[in-house]
Amino acid sequence: MNSLYVEGDSFFHRLPPRPKLVLLLLASLALFLTRSPLLLGLAAGAAALLYGSLGIGWRQSWIRLRPILLTIMIVALATLILNSVEDGVTVLLRLTTLMMVAAAVTATVPIGAFIDEVTHAAWPLERLGLVRAADIGLSVGLVIRFVPEVVSRYQQLRQAHQARGLKVRATTMIVPLIIQTLKSADEVAAAIDARGIRGQRQARNLEDSR
Amino acid sequence: MGQRVIIRFEQAGATFSDRVAVEPLTLTLSERRIGIIGLNGSGKTTFARMINGLVTPTNGRVTVNGFDTSSDGEGVRRQVGFIFQNPQNQIILPILREDIALGLKSRRLSAAAVDDAVDAILARFGIEHLAARRAHELSGGELQLAALASVLVTEPEVVILDEPTNQLDLRNRALVETTLRGLDENVLVISHDLDLIGDFDRTLLFHESCLVADGKPGDVIAEYRKIAAS
Repeated sequence: MNSLYVEGDSFFHRLPPRPKLVLLLLASLALFLTRSPLLLGLAAGAAALLYGSLGIGWRQSWIRLRPILLTIMIVALATLILNSVEDGVTVLLRLTTLMMVAAAVTATVPIGAFIDEVTHAAWPLERLGLVRAADIGLSVGLVIRFVPEVVSRYQQLRQAHQARGLKVRATTMIVPLIIQTLKSADEVAAAIDARGIRGQRQARNLEDSR
Repeated sequence: MGQRVIIRFEQAGATFSDRVAVEPLTLTLSERRIGIIGLNGSGKTTFARMINGLVTPTNGRVTVNGFDTSSDGEGVRRQVGFIFQNPQNQIILPILREDIALGLKSRRLSAAAVDDAVDAILARFGIEHLAARRAHELSGGELQLAALASVLVTEPEVVILDEPTNQLDLRNRALVETTLRGLDENVLVISHDLDLIGDFDRTLLFHESCLVADGKPGDVIAEYRKIAAS
């Protein structure tokens, strides 16, 4: 199992998780309060500097950001075609900035610390009897945990296609990828049950447990 | 030495849809080291998962020290740790130290208490040097020890291991076997490694979803060899 967290000693690494998560929250709000290309461009530049300061390296950064960057390009291009050039640029700058800030946070906060912070933030909701704070923290942690795992499974499937001389097509990749990811999620859920991490839960009778 | 644990199956069986995974059986398990053997698909894993409450019986009931696995799963899982066939599935968080701590945090211990317990369990298995490592960087034997540490840190009375030496090379197999022999906890081991369970207190043999032999390892293993050869 891989992780989005990257060990390092940069300023952002040394910052405690809470201010980083607050920064991400504020950035995601502030970026939608302006449409100024200048301000959005400055924000994108600052985010790029922040991400660059982590010492991840160009190649590794490209590998990590490429899937979401391609998605942003498609969304920006669609906006440009359907609306205007200005709207397309706005979408491109906003989403790219958010991506870099979010990537900087996930690269410098271990999942355990993420879980602790989100659990802490959800405490008021638990006091109101609305949720179990630990469940919210664990859910967010598991989402982050699964991102590199899905990418890794995609790469394994692609290699399996290549090894058998098959052309890699979306139609033959998506179904096994979804099935493998759901199976993996089921196994993690069983591990959470087995280790009593969520306490009392309805046990699940698994078809494949024999 | 771990405390004595009483596991009772009272006409307990498990059926998935219309497929019987474990035929109803009645037995009491109280020995410290119990082996479970049988061919693939014979019902061993389902039987073991019924003890931990991961699979609830569709007939009868299963209790662990009086806790019913169907109605008090939390009580049961505090006493019964479970290590999956593939320890990769056991590790929930990528960094070993974080993963071991996860089981304790859900019990709302202080940060200092969690740190102390994690340090102690890492030291117990001699894997302090792996604390900051990621699960995908560990060897098979290290991964098995990591999974064991993540379960034993919560101090269960009994630990169930599903084929713990499966897919390990000779060196890692020896490492895991030595560790298992040194455990104070009660252990219940599903295994195809007959040497591993050869000196256990009791062995159960499953065949085609039924418990077909129950006794000392020598006799039960002999029965298993007959089944395997037929």
